[in-house]
Amino acid sequence: MIELRNLRKAFAGKPALHDLSLEVRRGEIFGLLGHNGAGKSTTLGILLGQVFPNGGEAYISGVSVQKERARALARTGAIFEAPRFYDYLSGWRNLEIYTSYSARVPKEKIAEAVETVGLTKRIGDKVGAYSQGMRQRLGLAQALLPDNELVLLDEPTNGLDPEGIHEMRLLIQQLNRDRGITVLFCSHLLVDVEQLCDRVAILNQGNKVFDGRWADLDSDRHQVRLEVDAWEKAAPLLSAVTDLQIVERGMVSVRKDFDIAEIVSGLVQGGVRVRAVEPQRRNLEEIYLSITHNGGTRDT
Amino acid sequence: MSLFFHQLYGELWKLFARKRTYIGFGAFFGLETLILLLFQLPSVQRSFGRIIERAGYGFESYFSGLTIAFLILYWTVFLLGGLYIALVGGDIVAKEVEDGTMRMTLCRPVSRLRVLAVKYIACLIYTVALTFFIGFSALGIGLLRQGVGGFFAWQPLQGIFFLYDFGPGLQRYLCSLPLLAATLVSVTSLAFMFSCFNMKPVSATICTLTYFTTDNIFRNVPYFDSIKPWFITSHIETWYHIYRSPIPWLRMVEDFAYLAGADATFIIIGVVAFSVRDFKS
Repeated sequence: MIELRNLRKAFAGKPALHDLSLEVRRGEIFGLLGHNGAGKSTTLGILLGQVFPNGGEAYISGVSVQKERARALARTGAIFEAPRFYDYLSGWRNLEIYTSYSARVPKEKIAEAVETVGLTKRIGDKVGAYSQGMRQRLGLAQALLPDNELVLLDEPTNGLDPEGIHEMRLLIQQLNRDRGITVLFCSHLLVDVEQLCDRVAILNQGNKVFDGRWADLDSDRHQVRLEVDAWEKAAPLLSAVTDLQIVERGMVSVRKDFDIAEIVSGLVQGGVRVRAVEPQRRNLEEIYLSITHNGGTRDT
Repeated sequence: MSLFFHQLYGELWKLFARKRTYIGFGAFFGLETLILLLFQLPSVQRSFGRIIERAGYGFESYFSGLTIAFLILYWTVFLLGGLYIALVGGDIVAKEVEDGTMRMTLCRPVSRLRVLAVKYIACLIYTVALTFFIGFSALGIGLLRQGVGGFFAWQPLQGIFFLYDFGPGLQRYLCSLPLLAATLVSVTSLAFMFSCFNMKPVSATICTLTYFTTDNIFRNVPYFDSIKPWFITSHIETWYHIYRSPIPWLRMVEDFAYLAGADATFIIIGVVAFSVRDFKS
């Protein structure tokens, strides 16, 4: 659906993107994760033809955005940076004006989009009276119109309260599940991306440092904390176990598919009393920071 | 094509739904009323009467609604009309970029050129609407207060001193309005050009007004007489040649050709500047 080939961009000599390539498949929710200034919005800007790359090209459904922008964006909707509206006009009028730049959209279609995002009761009010959550929902409504199959969302949960974030996530999942809409979702919030996205790319200072499934983000090994009566007696028994490494006193490292019961059984048979076995799971933040701070790249 | 008009309708809706758009209309109506009131002062009428009577004509015959409407139009339209037209023209692109709504628009499968074309035409419509409003409201309140009578068109700096009966005078007055609107398009075009640059809306307005004010000052410096034709304000005043008898049509065509060239240049520069910009905060 989306293909980025060797994108490069610098603003006033300062590099924003270094040779970025990635693919987004039709029907998936793809996350673009990174710190502020990592290049997420720049990537989105290039995809929308609002930012001109210094090198490389972006394709949507096989059409180059740089060469045939209107054709490439024919069935694409977006919220680029924050959704902005004409505050002195109603939500309905805003939708009519924005969608007029795509096609003549029937009133029924607009009403359907408004219903989808849950703004029917307030759509006649001026946008100036809308809350942040309502503006985000209106932004999503305009991104869906007239009949888009790809939606690009730039930090759509920004400024929302927890309830609003939850509703926005549910909405995005519903659009993907029920209508097969492909979503490219940019965020600096790990939780958002983790909960929504099938695959993710992580940007760090304009470089892609990871591209793949969430499950592949973590290592294939994890650590297990063991509390035993006699570590000096347990250590030789543990060293004899295949695929087990002793990290330090009371901590071992095994493959994720390793049956921990084997460790316990081996220790008990060896006469060691086992008081506690606790698999240690790295939290998402640790995984993300280890990838971004190591500066290495991982593609799966 | 129908999609273009649909987009233009949306653009006009945006423009005329803003309260700020009506500041010019309100300001002019107020100013016209003030000028009309000032013309009721005996001292003002005496000064005016001396000029007409020196030419051998009766003050009462030519101190009419039409004469006052012309004076209001002549004295106010360039400075004030220019101000409000520059305000709208300077806002139309730059304000949307500043507010972020331009980013939203450019998420759509629409070319930047189409967006600019729609906005420029909306500006032109505003220019024409404001000019006609000024012209007709001045005529309306002038006729209401002073009634029908002869038309005295007098502007010493431009060497205009003509007297017409009401009918021919009214014809010339009404013909001058579209000509005036056409000359003010140059203000629109320059403001629009600045609006396309990466600058704040108020900067675009100020740059436009500065340009025209400076141009007007230079035009009136005696040492610059040889290069007077290069100043745009020399040509913008062509609209009042319609009051001369005979009407210097060739000169007016030359002036409008110059203005058309200037307008085209401004627009092309604006379009190019807008087309190569990155839109990202």
